[in-house]
Amino acid sequence: MAHDTPIMEVRNLTKHYRAGGAGLRHAVTKAVDGIDLSLRAGETFGIVGESGCGKSTVARLMMGLEAPTSGEVYFRGERIDNMPESRKRLLRPKFQMVFQDSGSSLNPRKRVMDILAEPMLYHGKAGRAEVLRRVDELLEQVGLPSAAKTRYPHEFSGGQKQRICIAKALSLGPELIVLDEPVSALDVSVQAQILNLLKDLQEELKLTYLFIGHGLGAVRYVSSRIAVMYMGKIVETGGADELFRHPAHPYTQALLDAAPVADYSLRNRPRIALRGEAGGMAPAGGCPFRDRCPHARPVCAEMTVSLEPVPGGEGRLSACPFGR
Amino acid sequence: MLEIRDLEISFFSGKKQTRRTDRVSFSVRPGEILALVGESGCGKSITALSILGLLPRQGRVTGGEILYAGKNLTALPEKELDEIRGREISMIFQDIMYSLNPVFTVGNQMIEGMRRHLGYTKQQAKEKAIALLKRTGIQNAEAAMRKYPHMLSGGMRQRVMIAMALACGPKILIADEPTTALDVTIQLQIMQLLKSLRDEFGMSILLITHDIGVVAEMADRVVVMYAGQCVEEADTKTLLEQPAHPYTQALLSAVPGVNDEPGRRLYSIPGAVPETYHQMTGCRFAERCPYAGNCPKKGEMKSAPDGRPVRCDLAEKKGREAHGA
Repeated sequence: MAHDTPIMEVRNLTKHYRAGGAGLRHAVTKAVDGIDLSLRAGETFGIVGESGCGKSTVARLMMGLEAPTSGEVYFRGERIDNMPESRKRLLRPKFQMVFQDSGSSLNPRKRVMDILAEPMLYHGKAGRAEVLRRVDELLEQVGLPSAAKTRYPHEFSGGQKQRICIAKALSLGPELIVLDEPVSALDVSVQAQILNLLKDLQEELKLTYLFIGHGLGAVRYVSSRIAVMYMGKIVETGGADELFRHPAHPYTQALLDAAPVADYSLRNRPRIALRGEAGGMAPAGGCPFRDRCPHARPVCAEMTVSLEPVPGGEGRLSACPFGR
Repeated sequence: MLEIRDLEISFFSGKKQTRRTDRVSFSVRPGEILALVGESGCGKSITALSILGLLPRQGRVTGGEILYAGKNLTALPEKELDEIRGREISMIFQDIMYSLNPVFTVGNQMIEGMRRHLGYTKQQAKEKAIALLKRTGIQNAEAAMRKYPHMLSGGMRQRVMIAMALACGPKILIADEPTTALDVTIQLQIMQLLKSLRDEFGMSILLITHDIGVVAEMADRVVVMYAGQCVEEADTKTLLEQPAHPYTQALLSAVPGVNDEPGRRLYSIPGAVPETYHQMTGCRFAERCPYAGNCPKKGEMKSAPDGRPVRCDLAEKKGREAHGA
């Protein structure tokens, strides 16, 4: 596969929601505000950010679960956001999604076997016998015993349910899986199992992942490239390792600073706690982070923010011209 | 200060009794932050709830003692416990949405508590409430007093909860996953706030958490729980740098860190926490333990060479070396 053909790409993706108020005075929440992304085949692209930054909305827009206010979504070079549903249905098997809440993603009245078979039967992928054989194969791939297929979702633990969700996402042989906080609700020991499973599956099946998370450690563990979002915008993006080692944007620095580290020698490390909280409306004009930024200066209120290359940053982009 | 001794909590369903904790013992010293850490279902939260007699209806303390100021809290009549609850020992929860009454303003809720417990006049209570809200970092405290809980963000609600918990100047604050529902930048603010309040008021904090990172940042000492039992107790530095119990070791190497080398593979503990651990005899971690091979698997409390209690039959001999870690 040519490395330069993105498997999925979004250009100037924007989603606005009406946030109360009537008529002409209604307020607008810019959940996603002009984002460009492209996912390369076989990579894991991570999106990190705090709640309300728009990371899940990006995932939903990519999957076609919501229509963007403006901007374009491409799958393998083909525009999909304005595609008729009948055509989109043919492409759907190629990109699948796994959610945080594995419990509510599984129909409680159906046996695991039926849950896994349903997408295959719906998309007419195979005959009855072939589907049953595939169910066994899927269960094995996600590390569940074959006996699991006759049981119901409530009989499984959180980690096992997430394995079933992954199996379901795999059932149609996707190329891209969007993982929206897939391990956030799990205990650490189970978290590690699922993260390792995802890595192994990726290698085995040559999958591309979009991994959305707020746990920085987990996102770093699986991702090769990362985008950091703040109030609907990407503030920094680049190679995962570089970005974590030498964050350029003050918000990235603050996020890394705030992440608890299980290392006693780092306990009293100097770090900056951000003022206030993200949320509500971004300050009008200028940099959306300026009212919390420890390095903010008067010009931040006036400048037009755009992602620019970080000097010596190996292709990294940052929205802060003052970042070190 | 507060001593939990051989605590056994059981849940009843019809005639069936399920023992959820098994001889849990630890004590909270004056002015310290003690972390009770473990995965969901290990019994850490019900242990905390039992201290204030807040167990759900089907739960009951069926053995052991909770000693505070010379009294056994498990045997105290409800009326006397009410004197301690909120005044001497108070509690904050993870579930900040459900811990505040949605139909009263923040001010109403705070003032009511103080008038009831401290006998303040309305004006006194109001002034104290505003001072407390300011101390927990709420900028515009007067305005916050007039707000309903749903109008506040998660971080703000937790600050309000902390302010309410502090109202009567408790000696011990029990914090059950106080930052779990919060974003990291807010989590850092709340962790720093709790530490500074501990320093200022000299209270002890019993911190219930599943997050080793939070433990590393906040706790002075740590008690690790697994399947209803305490498995290891140590000061934070020792626990993080020389974990003695195989479960603690596994837990530490299962956490992906922001400073990890790329390419590291996470250690994942095989299997899952046994669901029916209350019926188990012997070591409850044995079936997931990498060292179970040549181990008697009795699962009794032993002392590591440095004296700390560890529930591992191999701990006594060589400590960490015995596990080849």
